[in-house]
Amino acid sequence: MRAQLMWRTLPSLVLGLLFLSTPVMGSCLDKDQELLRQLQKQADIMQRTSMLLNPYIQSQGLDKDGLKEHCRERPGTFPSKEALQRLSRQELLRALNTMLDHVLHRLMALQQDIPKAQDLETVNRAKQNIRGFKNNIHCMAQLLPGSSERTEPPPIGPGTSPSPTPTPDTFQRRLEGCRFLHGYHRFMHSVGQVFREWAESPSRSRRHSPRRGLWKGARRVPLSRGNKRLLLRGQLPR
Amino acid sequence: MLTLQTWIVHVLFIFFTTESVGELLEPCGYIKPESPVVQLGSNFTAVCVLKEKCMDYFHVNASYIFWKTNHLTVPKEQYTTINKTASSVTFTDTSSLNTQLTCNIRTFGQIDQNVYGIRIISGLPPEKPKNLSCIVNEGKKMMCQWDPGRETYLETNFTLKSEWATEKFADCKTKRDTPTSCTVDYSPVYFVNTEVWVEAENALGKVTSDHINFDPVDKVKPNPPHNLSVSNSEELSSILKLTWINSSIQDFIRLKYNIQYRTRDSSVWNQIPPEDTASTRSSFTVQDLKPFTEYVFRIRCMKEDGKGFWSDWSEEASGITYEDRPSKAPSFWYKIEPSHTHGYRSVQLIWKTLPPFEANGKILDYEVTLTRWKSRLQNYTVNETKWTVNITNDRYIATLTVRNLVGKSDAAVLTIPAYDFKATRPVRDLKAFPKDNMLWVEWTAPNESVNKYILEWCVLSDKSPCIPDWQQEDGLVHRTYLRGNLAESKCYLITVTPVFADGPGSPESIKAYLKQAPPSKGPTVRTKKVGKNEAVLEWDQLPVDVQNGFIRNYTIFYRTIIGNETAVNVDSSHTEYTLSSLTSDTLYMVRMAAYTDEGGKDGPEFTFTTPKFAQGEIEAIVVPVCLAFLLTTLLGVLFCFNKRDLIKKHIWPNVPDPSKSHIAQWSPHTPPRHNFNSKDQMYSDGNFTDVSVVEIEAANDKKPFPEDLKSLDLFKKEKISTEGHSSGIGGSSCMSSSRPSISSSDENESAQNTSGTVQYSTVVHSGYRHQVPSVQVFSRSESTQPLLDSEERPEDLQLVENTESSAGSFPRQQYFKQNCSQRDTSPDISHFERSKQVSSVNEEDFVRLKQQMSDISKPFEAGQMKMFQEISVADAFGPHTDGLVEGFETVGMEAAVDEGMPKSYLPQTVRRGGYMPQ
Repeated sequence: MRAQLMWRTLPSLVLGLLFLSTPVMGSCLDKDQELLRQLQKQADIMQRTSMLLNPYIQSQGLDKDGLKEHCRERPGTFPSKEALQRLSRQELLRALNTMLDHVLHRLMALQQDIPKAQDLETVNRAKQNIRGFKNNIHCMAQLLPGSSERTEPPPIGPGTSPSPTPTPDTFQRRLEGCRFLHGYHRFMHSVGQVFREWAESPSRSRRHSPRRGLWKGARRVPLSRGNKRLLLRGQLPR
Repeated sequence: MLTLQTWIVHVLFIFFTTESVGELLEPCGYIKPESPVVQLGSNFTAVCVLKEKCMDYFHVNASYIFWKTNHLTVPKEQYTTINKTASSVTFTDTSSLNTQLTCNIRTFGQIDQNVYGIRIISGLPPEKPKNLSCIVNEGKKMMCQWDPGRETYLETNFTLKSEWATEKFADCKTKRDTPTSCTVDYSPVYFVNTEVWVEAENALGKVTSDHINFDPVDKVKPNPPHNLSVSNSEELSSILKLTWINSSIQDFIRLKYNIQYRTRDSSVWNQIPPEDTASTRSSFTVQDLKPFTEYVFRIRCMKEDGKGFWSDWSEEASGITYEDRPSKAPSFWYKIEPSHTHGYRSVQLIWKTLPPFEANGKILDYEVTLTRWKSRLQNYTVNETKWTVNITNDRYIATLTVRNLVGKSDAAVLTIPAYDFKATRPVRDLKAFPKDNMLWVEWTAPNESVNKYILEWCVLSDKSPCIPDWQQEDGLVHRTYLRGNLAESKCYLITVTPVFADGPGSPESIKAYLKQAPPSKGPTVRTKKVGKNEAVLEWDQLPVDVQNGFIRNYTIFYRTIIGNETAVNVDSSHTEYTLSSLTSDTLYMVRMAAYTDEGGKDGPEFTFTTPKFAQGEIEAIVVPVCLAFLLTTLLGVLFCFNKRDLIKKHIWPNVPDPSKSHIAQWSPHTPPRHNFNSKDQMYSDGNFTDVSVVEIEAANDKKPFPEDLKSLDLFKKEKISTEGHSSGIGGSSCMSSSRPSISSSDENESAQNTSGTVQYSTVVHSGYRHQVPSVQVFSRSESTQPLLDSEERPEDLQLVENTESSAGSFPRQQYFKQNCSQRDTSPDISHFERSKQVSSVNEEDFVRLKQQMSDISKPFEAGQMKMFQEISVADAFGPHTDGLVEGFETVGMEAAVDEGMPKSYLPQTVRRGGYMPQ
């Protein structure tokens, strides 16, 4: 029993420490539903190809028939919706945090191939949105009753490693960038759907979660100062 | 090597220079704190520390220190000598914002030397900023503003800080010109809560506002919808469809809208109910609009949940609803015009164009029908709003419909009565009054049912004819306003005619003003009649064009030059007024003002003067005076007429003309001297050699006695017979002019005319009128000219002296003695004349007369004439008359006999144009 308690408490502590490693700044929303709605809205925005992919295709000269078909997500770059659905909330938040860090790194790499200031502004705006999304993940994580039991990213199937493959020529590099962005938007679309499922039917999310244990053991773990350490209603571990 | 040496020299130079300057400028001490900033109202203490070196040099210590603020010495009570080298000064309740504080020492007992100086800055710490708020204009950076609080008097920096839970943004420093707002450098990220606060900091402190935490999307002010367009529907004339493009914010948030609309000619906006536009959309259909009406729309949006700000209004867009059938029949009326065709009338049918909201479309034409009693219908299509037709004197029914693209209106029906129709049943209690800048007309309906009312009106003017405008009102209406373009200060003649089913009723009229004003000019007053104490003024009624309102009354102002003005109010119906109690012979100035309900206007000033006398007063004075004068004159004339002899004697006695004088020789012995002078030539025909005049006085104008006349005739005859001629003096002497005289040389007629007297010539030597000669002499002569020529002919005088020894001392006297053979007994002419008569008659009578004359000689002046007459009557016409005549004859004979004796005759020289002085 004691060991079980420890098993339940540890992931929350780890997740909490993970996000607490960031400097303590502004306070987060203490309303989980509102925060979840914000995440959904952000995901809706970030999934729009007009926010990043289309400007990139246009700027890189990839908006030609025949080329668009090749601008498809390379399988395995981003986790699938099903993979995300299988994750617990803590795992999902952790996975999202990790994935978005990779996206940021990749966008910084792509910026080198974007000469136009207007397109650079688009990329910067996308990066700002990703940082804002990560902020909300951070706040959501603080509202969750537990944290990941592992510091490692959860095994979410293919695409767990979105690191770009070194490409020899520019065209291939642009095409890879295009495929990456395509995958990014698809990924954010899936994230949005998962968040929507969270809001609509939290229990169903848990049902699909392979690690039900993640939702257990985390009971009113105090989080950062700004939050009131409220647990998501109806999502308390059984 | 050389370079090294040069460098060393430079270094040494700089070193020594710096050292020396440092010593020169090194202060004698210093003040702590160096740059103090003090809070207003707080205490402040400064310490001045002297350097040992300086103390030794000047032989001073801290007790020698004195402080100055802004060059004024601080009282020593505020000093504190801390030790030998340090002295402090304390200020309580600092209020000066900027103070110069110096530490000074007095050296050698008299020289003040400044040791050190600082500047104290005072102010207040910043207050906590309040009311921090932010706005995110879509597409722009976030801008926040706040209330900075009180004035600090110090340079205060405001910093807007913002951060996420995981990230901190760059500070936003306010600009100097906008210290209460700041726009961040980064683009806001929606749906990420951001924490924002303001830090205010100056030298006295730092303070932070309350933190606000918000989602930037809740602070958005969206861009307004654009490309707003309006389209109508042919199926429905009451709707318009709006379409627009939302701003890109709709990708992030849901929107709600405000849609407003108005008709083109209106300025009031109507708003679509907000609940109908509470969700994101890009089109909207507005219903319940009027057909064929242009509407203007505008739209704005904001976040659906009401958080954030409304966008600005979009650009306006307009659209016209589709046409519909005219909703109403037009106003319809007629005018009868005289026709030259017997049995016909010229009728002008007139109607009004429907307003757009009733026309519901573009009017294509009008359809008029005319139906005479029991005859077929006649249709006419007219494009104008009037139509003239000749109709018989029968009764007609006219209808009018208006047509647009969609259809026709209902028909307006009008009955044109027969020629002999007598209109009756007028409206009652017709009133017209202005209200709310409109001219309202109100009436009481006739007892019978009225189909409609026709209101006609026109401007009354003396300059232009009455051109009526008109409007139609429903039969149930009894009050309306005139919907024409009415002008202020114009008199409107308003006529209301009820229209019944069988024809129009009797019209009723009334005058009214939309708005009255004072008259444009005042009445011109003038006098109709001016009396001594009153004046009747009159004036003309003002023309209607200058009345500008209903003339309510007149006021007459009148005054004298020095008097106060008097005002008299006169009813507007009058055109004359009598001013009474005026002062006579006074200039009055009068003017007149006419008043409407809105004020009055003075007319020109008129002056008049009241007369000094009332009418008839002068006549009452002048006529009696004139009458009295005339009467007096008449009496005077009568008196003069009656007393003309007397007046003549005193005023214009006969003056003898010397040029016609002759010397008559009484003595028959004295020969006539025909060649005596040139005048004698006139009578030198031998007919005028002797002068013999017998003068007979008839007292009291009595005719001479027949005996006298007889004797006179005899005398004349004798004279003619003896002398052949006689010379009578035609004129009378001055003393006998009024007496009738008879000259012996005159014709018989003249003898008859002078039958009252027998004139004999008298030479007056007693002077003219009241001149008294020194010696009374007389001689018979035809002339009344005095004989003065003795001076010119002294030889004649000498002859006289030789011939008459008894002559007196004066030649003339001798001469007369010679001629008359008698003595001068009296200087009086009367006596002389009388004695002349008497002497030749009787010596005794002469003596007696001489005595009488001596008795009466004194009262000569007054009683001269009377005495003379009495004597003449008593003596000349007495019993001695015959003797007198005889005496004359004797003398005449002597003159004729002595014709050859020139010494006895004294010729006289007559000066032309006068007579010699006596």
